[in-house]
Amino acid sequence: MMSIPIIAQAKIYASVEQAQKILFPKKQLSKSPILITDDLQERMRQASSIRHPFQGDRIWKTADGSWLIVDEVVGKHEMITYAVGMSSKGSILGVEILEYVESYGYEVAEEQWRKQFIGKSATDPIKLNQDIQNISGATLSCKHLTDGVKRVTVLFEAALKAK
Amino acid sequence: MKTRCQALLGTFVEISVDQDEHLSAIDKAFATIKLVQHLMSFHNPLSELNAINQRSHLSPITIHPWTAQILHIAHEIYTQSNGLFNCGIGHRLVAAGLLPQHLDLAQYQFGGIEDIKFITPMLITSSKPLCLDLGGIAKGFAVDQAVEVLRINGVESGCVNAGGDLRVFGSSPRPVHIRHPKSPGQLIEIGSIHNGAIATSSLYFSKRDRKHSHIINPLAKSDSDIHADFSESSSIVANQCVYADALTKVFALSKNDDHPCFNHFSAQAIRIAA
Repeated sequence: MMSIPIIAQAKIYASVEQAQKILFPKKQLSKSPILITDDLQERMRQASSIRHPFQGDRIWKTADGSWLIVDEVVGKHEMITYAVGMSSKGSILGVEILEYVESYGYEVAEEQWRKQFIGKSATDPIKLNQDIQNISGATLSCKHLTDGVKRVTVLFEAALKAK
Repeated sequence: MKTRCQALLGTFVEISVDQDEHLSAIDKAFATIKLVQHLMSFHNPLSELNAINQRSHLSPITIHPWTAQILHIAHEIYTQSNGLFNCGIGHRLVAAGLLPQHLDLAQYQFGGIEDIKFITPMLITSSKPLCLDLGGIAKGFAVDQAVEVLRINGVESGCVNAGGDLRVFGSSPRPVHIRHPKSPGQLIEIGSIHNGAIATSSLYFSKRDRKHSHIINPLAKSDSDIHADFSESSSIVANQCVYADALTKVFALSKNDDHPCFNHFSAQAIRIAA
């Protein structure tokens, strides 16, 4: 049974293309997907405590060896899609939030909640209230995102550094 | 309108500008918030705040003008609230596991904001050891600084929102919603803000995540009074976000929507009962 949250909000801040322009202005990026082995997947999981698999197909590279990686983190109450810019040496140049989806309502098991959104784009027909801009009292933890960035740095060390 | 979002100050910070040609101003505004975070973070052991906590009772410390400014504002609100707002409660949050431990708490008898003395405008000392936490005021301060930077860079109207501490500036009013404290997924539209700020304190996320209340009563007489417990949400509307942010604590603790210091700071209180 898939639960539909009573109230959900989605905020779409930037597309991948816009994130490329924000993090690497005036640079050309070429798509550079990575095959994520089970071993690497496990190392990323251990370093970050994020359970859902990393998708290796959202990685781009600039001519001077910098990287743009798009990933998402999913918690019980929110899903955040974000982009990380990394230098060729692995230092983080910037982190930009692309989408933020929040759900409340039924007790949604993490797995079910996640299935609703993973791989969906903003245009998918999920009933989301997209018009609400300014919410006071929204002090939400961004710990999940910190974990997400951690796993991206593990990805760099293990798979991107040598490329 | 263009809105960008980054994770800063332990929350998600949104910056919106009405004109698309001012996108580089957003970068500068985010950089400003990063500087506030760099100076005032409790989590970062190398922040200026932690230097104050580690050394200000031992020797004078030179501080950044913004740190000086926030300490002055914090002291002003401390005075006007008769001590109900005091940043010198960091050790309470550390003891509750809400902040990282940089000092051995047992060794110290901590003072508060009232123990800081300015030797020169940027040089301070403290008569007692301090464990200041600016978590109750720095987000609002950062929002105000970001708004300043946007304006200096030609942005006529927009909004900066640091996890619910938000300020709207320029010609266009913006609708503002407050979460319903009983079911935070429901939003209550309270009207529009035009050149002003709002901040909200509540415990619904702390309760959801089964954490200690992060609202500390600096005047607590017994251990059981240290972590304030309440179910309503307390919002403050003010001209600047730094005052809105800090005064929500005065409102939440006093439960007095007519506290004299709100008038002093031209602020208004909005309570939403659970």
